[in-house]
Amino acid sequence: MKVSAVRQALLLLALAFVPAIGEAIYFRNKVSWQSPIPASELVTVEQARSWGDNVIWVDARPDNEFERDHIPGAVSLNEDRWNELLPQFLGQWSPEKKVIVYCSAQSCNASREVAKRLRDEAQLKNVFVLDGGWEEWLKSKR
Amino acid sequence: MNTDFLKLIGIAALTALAQGARAELKWEQTSVDLKPALGDKQAVAHFKYENIGKTPVHFKSVRASCGCTAAQTQNEKVGPGEKGEVTATFNIGGRTGTQVKTVTVQTDDPDPSHATTMLTLKAVITPLLEIQPTLVFWQNGEEPKPKIITAKANKDAAIKKLDVISSVPDFTAKVDAGSAPNEFRISVQPRDTSRAVYATLTIKPDSPVNTASTFPAAARVMPPAPTPATASTPATKSTLSTIRRDPAIPAATAASPGH
Repeated sequence: MKVSAVRQALLLLALAFVPAIGEAIYFRNKVSWQSPIPASELVTVEQARSWGDNVIWVDARPDNEFERDHIPGAVSLNEDRWNELLPQFLGQWSPEKKVIVYCSAQSCNASREVAKRLRDEAQLKNVFVLDGGWEEWLKSKR
Repeated sequence: MNTDFLKLIGIAALTALAQGARAELKWEQTSVDLKPALGDKQAVAHFKYENIGKTPVHFKSVRASCGCTAAQTQNEKVGPGEKGEVTATFNIGGRTGTQVKTVTVQTDDPDPSHATTMLTLKAVITPLLEIQPTLVFWQNGEEPKPKIITAKANKDAAIKKLDVISSVPDFTAKVDAGSAPNEFRISVQPRDTSRAVYATLTIKPDSPVNTASTFPAAARVMPPAPTPATASTPATKSTLSTIRRDPAIPAATAASPGH
């Protein structure tokens, strides 16, 4: 009786693995347990503030959201108009400064994508992502 | 005992009837893989559905995960047996690589497991040209040696030649064949590094696939390192006020690498 129950449990477990493995292969670049950015490349609002003027803020949100409001001094650089906005950002970049990219909230992915492209394509160092994004920045002002 | 058994059958029958009478959208597919052609501006996914229930279904909301995707349904109400589709239009913009966007559809189905459906659009965007690095810079006073930008052309784009245009005459750019097929080497050199200069380099491939595409890179001579007296000056002002911007001039044209 016990052996049969264990066998059934193992069979169910094996069956559950089939779709799980399939999903893991299909979404191999988007697996939920794998953080797209290492913790060392994330900064909190508090940390960012402690860096003072030694920061270039990059707003990865769409144009309309940037126009509505943004972190003071931030440069707009989103992937909708990457080719137009990139030269403007590179004109303001400075090797001594840290770059912090942000998007709307914790759930958005735009800041990660923009930060990755700045590291890979422009080969910039000291590029960080703001944890919690614009939403967290607003909360810290309250 | 018999009464209990009849009650049980009655409940089962009513449940079955209720199941049959309820609305239900059946999706042909909830995930669509797209491979936009080189130079495409948009990728459109069609998610087809059919109401296989007995009552109408009303859409409460159709919401995309990002501003780059617009999603809409043909009708607000789907009668029993009716078919339709949700269209998701993904604006590619300057994006490259694998892009996964989702659309959340909410209906008035009383069963929460059927009321919300997540539709996934996966698009693999291959760029016409991959440029690396997109920025070359020299410190103030550094020896003005050339620095290399590599441009890797998509093999399907049949790019034979690249034009590189500098926005200022303070930099020269020369294009040669790279070490690999479909690769170009752009050699950028400042005339001098004694003062801060910034140039946008516009890279224009001669691709027959997409003649309108240009790609940006930048070249800079950095301003002198701030002294303690100037360190408190706002960075943007100190950097940009010393940058010279002149009308664009053609800087370089290269012949085909021939492979």
